[in-house]
Amino acid sequence: MKKLYSNKLVILSLVLPGVLLFVFAILAPICLSVYYGFTDYSGMGSYQMIGFENYRNLFTDKTFGIALRNSLLLAVGFICIQHPLALITAAVLDKLGGRGENFFRCVYFIPNVISVAVIAYLWKFIYNPDFGLLNNILKAFGGRGDTNWFDSKTAIWAVLIVLIWHGFGWGMLIYYTGIKNIDPVLYEAATIDGANQITTFLKITLPLMKPVIQVNVTMAVISALKQMETVYLLTNGGPGNSTQFTANYLYQQAFKAFRYGYGNAIGVVFIIICLAVTVGLNKVFEEPEERKLKKRKRIRAKAKGVS
Amino acid sequence: MKRKMVSVMLATAMLVTMLAGCGSGDGGAAGSAGGSTAGDAAGNGDTSGSTDGNGVSDGEQITLKLFSNLPDRKNGQGLVEQTIIDEYMVENPNVTIEVEALDEEAYKTKFKAYSMYGMPDVVSIWGQPAFLDEVVAANVLAELNAEDYTDYKFVEGSLDGFTYDGKLYGLPRNTDIAVFYYNQKMFDDNGWTIPETYDDLLALADEINAVGITPVAMDGGDGWPLAVYLSDLLYQIVGNDYADIVSDAFADSDFSAPEITEAVELLKQAADAKLFQNGYDSQDYGTAMNLFTNGQAAMFYMGSWETSMATNEDIPEDIRENIRVFTMPAVEGGKAASTDIAAWNGGGYAVSANSEVQGEAVKFLNYMYQPDKLSKYGWENGVGLSAQDQGDYLTGSETELQKQIIDILNASTSLSGTPINDCGPSTFKATIESAIQNVSNGTTTVDDFLSIIGTSCQ
Repeated sequence: MKKLYSNKLVILSLVLPGVLLFVFAILAPICLSVYYGFTDYSGMGSYQMIGFENYRNLFTDKTFGIALRNSLLLAVGFICIQHPLALITAAVLDKLGGRGENFFRCVYFIPNVISVAVIAYLWKFIYNPDFGLLNNILKAFGGRGDTNWFDSKTAIWAVLIVLIWHGFGWGMLIYYTGIKNIDPVLYEAATIDGANQITTFLKITLPLMKPVIQVNVTMAVISALKQMETVYLLTNGGPGNSTQFTANYLYQQAFKAFRYGYGNAIGVVFIIICLAVTVGLNKVFEEPEERKLKKRKRIRAKAKGVS
Repeated sequence: MKRKMVSVMLATAMLVTMLAGCGSGDGGAAGSAGGSTAGDAAGNGDTSGSTDGNGVSDGEQITLKLFSNLPDRKNGQGLVEQTIIDEYMVENPNVTIEVEALDEEAYKTKFKAYSMYGMPDVVSIWGQPAFLDEVVAANVLAELNAEDYTDYKFVEGSLDGFTYDGKLYGLPRNTDIAVFYYNQKMFDDNGWTIPETYDDLLALADEINAVGITPVAMDGGDGWPLAVYLSDLLYQIVGNDYADIVSDAFADSDFSAPEITEAVELLKQAADAKLFQNGYDSQDYGTAMNLFTNGQAAMFYMGSWETSMATNEDIPEDIRENIRVFTMPAVEGGKAASTDIAAWNGGGYAVSANSEVQGEAVKFLNYMYQPDKLSKYGWENGVGLSAQDQGDYLTGSETELQKQIIDILNASTSLSGTPINDCGPSTFKATIESAIQNVSNGTTTVDDFLSIIGTSCQ
């Protein structure tokens, strides 16, 4: 079998589908995006090359600024609110045991199973100022119950709550699986040494969960930057552009405003930001030892080069 | 040797699965882009027999692809369209018409994709610069012979939006009027009267709010109804100078004309006076309409195409039978007479320039527009007004709402033409429909709004 895998023909046939998929479904579209980003193409008819004009416009485009800010705000919301909560919930669930554990695990995951369209309309009705659930609850508790949750100042928070709530179950499930993989012997040893629940969580669970957290947070940040469907269905960026997100803005420009070239320029900047964030996050999560090791290697390589 | 055999077999198996994968991929793509490929295939099939370009020899099978923005084929305008298609296929047994229908936004997106890779034979279009400028520039629509339509009783001026450099590229389907639908029973019960002036309307808003009802249900989430409202106000202020003022503004990319400023301020006044429902700027068409049809709002600002509410059995009887309309009340100092109304010819049909069965497509288009088809059926189904003279089809059994609408149109002394959001390039449309939410709810100032929309059409 080992020899089989060293046969180049086999390697090629195993690798080729993946490579082809990558080239035609990812690389080629990106290259086309870069190309169209330099044009004034409306999506129909002929077009001209206009150099960096689209990019220049992009950097003075206030709406793009708002969209980017909102995307980053969502990423921060994911990291600072959704994930700590998900991790804690996963740890508590793990300790719960029995039927309760299964029940709550299912309950928390339900929002992820429901279609985005249903989620968006559900929340639209919950937030509706005239007949929405939220205002009716406020009324029942003696409030005025006429709050406009999608007011241009508060709409972004209303949208963030929905997005954070919606992604919660997914994050929680991955943390839960991670926690389940930790060897129970460690907990037993800690208990014998007299450690309480909080200490075991901080000293055992958290450090051992680091790789899981790294993957989860990276995925969350990228999904925050890519956010489109829920926002599109919930507010479509409105009122005004107060809940505009980068991907939604890209869609609006490319397909509604007939600025296909500009939309592609947004796409290119968007890819660069996503890549930069991913690389940045990897750096943040890099172990100090790993970093030292890399540094030493670099120095050694340099020294070799000199000699 | 054995190992080599195994490796070769493995490699072959991989290649076969891959090819199979690619094959099914192609199939899927052809299926999803079915519009163009199927149409082309059918077209190629019949070109040999229809070289005369006008009709086809008997027995030759033709498939016409119709791309429509009316996904509901069982009600309203979609039903009218489908009825005509069915009749045409009965009269021309050799013709099969395949319909692909999507709602407006999805339609426009796919229209663009089709324009790059081959358009279906007959398509829905909008005779407004925001849509048609780019489409005509891309040469995807066939030129129609304007002289063919002299007997089709098109309302005067209704073909203008579809004409570029004297060439006709499409035909209008409707005449749309912007109106306030109101619940007459609710008005009578509360002693409210139809406002004569804009100030009366705002005063009425206070009275209606006082009894805990929403005065006007507004689809502000979409932006365009607000833009129509703004155009309506502007038309009331400037009367027949509307077209000149709007085109001057576009020519200079400058919307700071005092009349436009005043119209925007009047819109803002309405929002400040709580004329619209709480959170109007984030609520969509369906939500706004439901407020009215459930009796939670006294009025609903929308186009005349919603006249079919009067016959919609989903709406409670005591509401649907009491729906009446009035047009935008006079603005103080405004130049428009009370019979000058905000109306335009929006949607319509065109034929693809690259259609392989263009002759048949044009024949079908002309069939649809025979005065006793679209116009008559549309009237009978209460889907609003067509762009053709419908006087011959009054049956006397129309709903009160229909009669009122036709009276308004017949009594009109002048029509505004295209609403401002559809008068400019599509970038302008996208910008104004978003920025108008902010100016009405007070997030941006009137001056900022005017400069934002000015910049967008540079």
